[in-house]
Amino acid sequence: MRKTTWILMVALAFGLAACDDGAPADGDAGPGDAGSSGFENADCDDFDTANCVRVEGGDAQGLLDAVNTIDSDTTIVLGAGTFELSNQVTIRGVNTLNLVGQGMDETILAFTSATSQINGVDVIADGFLVQDLTVLDAPKDGIRVEDSDGVTFRRIKATWSEPGLSTNGAYGIYPVRSLNVLVEDSVAERSSDAGLYVGQCINVVVRNNIVRENVAGLEIENTQYADVYGNLAENNTAGIVAFDLPGNPVVGRDVRLRDNMILNNNHENFAPGGTVALIPPGTGTFALASRRIEITGNTYTGNQTGDIAVLSGLAIEEASVWELETSTLVGDWEDLGLLEGATPGTVTNFRTENVVISGNTHTDGGLAPEPHGDFGVLIRVLFTEDPVPSVIYDSIGEEFSTDPTMHTNVNRICVGGNTGGTGVASLDVPSQLLSPMSPILVVADAPFAPFDCTTIEGDPIVVPTF
Amino acid sequence: MLRFTQILASLFAVGLLVSCESTSSPFEGPPTVDVEAAPPESLSELQLFLWDPGEGFVYNERVVPYELNTPLFSDYALKERAIYVPEGETMGYDGEGVFSFPVGSVIVKTFYFAPDMREPLVDRELIETRVLMHTSEGWEAWPYIWNEEQTDAVLSPSGATRALSFIDPQGEPREASYLVPQRNQCSSCHVRNIGEGGEAVLTPIGPAARHLNRDLDYGAGAENQLAHFLDVGILNALPAMTPAAFDFRRIEADGVDAIPAAEVDFAARSYLDANCAHCHSPEGTAGVTSQLFLNHDNEDDFRLGVCKRPGSAGGGTFGRTYDLVPGDPEDSILYLRVETEEVGAMMPQLGRSVEHTMGSALLYRWIAEMEPVDCGPMMPPPGG
Repeated sequence: MRKTTWILMVALAFGLAACDDGAPADGDAGPGDAGSSGFENADCDDFDTANCVRVEGGDAQGLLDAVNTIDSDTTIVLGAGTFELSNQVTIRGVNTLNLVGQGMDETILAFTSATSQINGVDVIADGFLVQDLTVLDAPKDGIRVEDSDGVTFRRIKATWSEPGLSTNGAYGIYPVRSLNVLVEDSVAERSSDAGLYVGQCINVVVRNNIVRENVAGLEIENTQYADVYGNLAENNTAGIVAFDLPGNPVVGRDVRLRDNMILNNNHENFAPGGTVALIPPGTGTFALASRRIEITGNTYTGNQTGDIAVLSGLAIEEASVWELETSTLVGDWEDLGLLEGATPGTVTNFRTENVVISGNTHTDGGLAPEPHGDFGVLIRVLFTEDPVPSVIYDSIGEEFSTDPTMHTNVNRICVGGNTGGTGVASLDVPSQLLSPMSPILVVADAPFAPFDCTTIEGDPIVVPTF
Repeated sequence: MLRFTQILASLFAVGLLVSCESTSSPFEGPPTVDVEAAPPESLSELQLFLWDPGEGFVYNERVVPYELNTPLFSDYALKERAIYVPEGETMGYDGEGVFSFPVGSVIVKTFYFAPDMREPLVDRELIETRVLMHTSEGWEAWPYIWNEEQTDAVLSPSGATRALSFIDPQGEPREASYLVPQRNQCSSCHVRNIGEGGEAVLTPIGPAARHLNRDLDYGAGAENQLAHFLDVGILNALPAMTPAAFDFRRIEADGVDAIPAAEVDFAARSYLDANCAHCHSPEGTAGVTSQLFLNHDNEDDFRLGVCKRPGSAGGGTFGRTYDLVPGDPEDSILYLRVETEEVGAMMPQLGRSVEHTMGSALLYRWIAEMEPVDCGPMMPPPGG
């Protein structure tokens, strides 16, 4: 009651038109009534919430007033136009909130003049929908949503004015530590870390998005039950990747990367720092410290360093760093058979295992590996003449042998049924670090031992549907 | 005679003489705080304190000012803090965390600047007052921005940004882009995951025993703040073994180099606790994501950043690998992020646009004087 009164007061004070039961209160600029208000496509009656606030296109103060005074169960409709914002759009303390513009080319939240270290749109709210708008030039992340259950990003764009600047913000579309996340029909480009990043989330669908000109195009990190399909990753430094970082209480599992286009991800690495700064340009996909991953039906074309890398977490951190106290873990992990750590009461998640790579199409991959970062240099040194094989496996945790039949596959990495490409390279990374001329196993024809399998071991991958 | 009559008449007209005769207080009775009602449009309606450019801050009954041993740095803003506890109630003492406040309590913090911060009381300009109200449903935060006339502050839920120029306490000219946070941004610092089932709840940050255990002049010479709280009846108990954080006034007075080597760790950890731990702790929002814990009681060196790679630092790594490299501040991301003024890289995320030179110098010395540790060679990065 108190809050309702307050909202009314502010709405009146700032001339915002509140509309109940979905009907525009001021009667103007409804759907199809393209007046100067800039409300054209979306309006209050398109959304089933108890409250609705309309903010005229370009009214930045009105937008900030609205998000700081609304109650739960509200739709904020933004008119067409550019909102010049110097502070972030912060949403807290409410649930069931729709933030809706008139289209990603019509409603633009521009942070170009912001002088604080802010995100563009920064949200904690269960039941949050953001749709039909662009976030431009956010100093940090474009749209960040965390600790929320039920998050939808639809037809939104996160971008920066200039490509390839290390001063661009880190992440474009950024759901983190959230449950039940859908990202669809959206665009993320030019971020200096990851364009579309899903981290520490459970139950995720990421489909039909475009990621381009980012350092990492699309990242699935420490996330459980994710279906990633129909996306186009083009001209990033790395296309679509899945990995765990150490120390995180969500152990990644059950991630399906399927039917995506991963094309020409050869963009110069312009990250100002961090782990992604070390990724060689020309990388299609990597799985690192990951388990129960399917990489199937994707089209890889023109990624100059290589299409798919399968790497152990030990490639970036020593085992002790990967210890996780079991009492702190969230989500499902008991059935994963994680290795116990040296410290009592811990498990580790550095091991990459149970990965199926099948049904992908490879064209013109690994033709010109970039000697960027230690790993890029290693690849370049090893493959001076031939194209880099389509799948590179670091073989950490295996008994390495140049005789394929003697090479173990305890991590159960399955590669088969792919079209084009040049097979698997199993690198003896620990030995390679000591001597660049130590053995390397390259198998050109599929199927081949010991990677001759095409299905996940144990129960099938579980992914949500939205 | 005529002139005297005129003066008397005008005094009656503005009510000054009447109020002076009835009471010495400039307030019309005790504070009028109703935390369950909508916040008033004007700060003065709460009757917590008055601002008089000549007198300074004037407090109503049961409103007690306080200062912190190591305060949070906010672009050199000077801060006037006070606690209001309703009649008949007291704060519950806590040796570790923030005191437990009864419903109806209010914490106010006013931010102001002076043209020359070496003389902070000369020509000071009040910018904003942040009001934390303890309602029956939890804490609520409301920003008020002072008007140009400096007579009152107006409720401003959507905040503001202000360009400021001033001379800092070391005599350096500064240009700050000062952010008055919007209402929803208060939670960026004030939310901790300590509710039932780990839910995020808004909490005060400063008023804990270790930060409050210091002297302040309440008008009769230096007096311990906590003892004063007990005396005026807003605190329920005061054990003898009360902890105290490092008193940063020593550094402001004498510089970082004057601190004995044996106290540098304590000073630095107090600084990190006050400036970083509201987010970088096991209950803080950034702590959960980054696993970097800078709270004073964290004993895990790795979580303190030693040889730890950052989670998602974006532009904030400056090409370095580890959060904290003992013996090597220039290779420690933690130091570089506190020292920089680069948007997108600097820490804390809110409330700072210029470097706190004393603070970053303290952290520099702290890391430089640590026993050096080899964090290990660069391992091959992910990539294919």
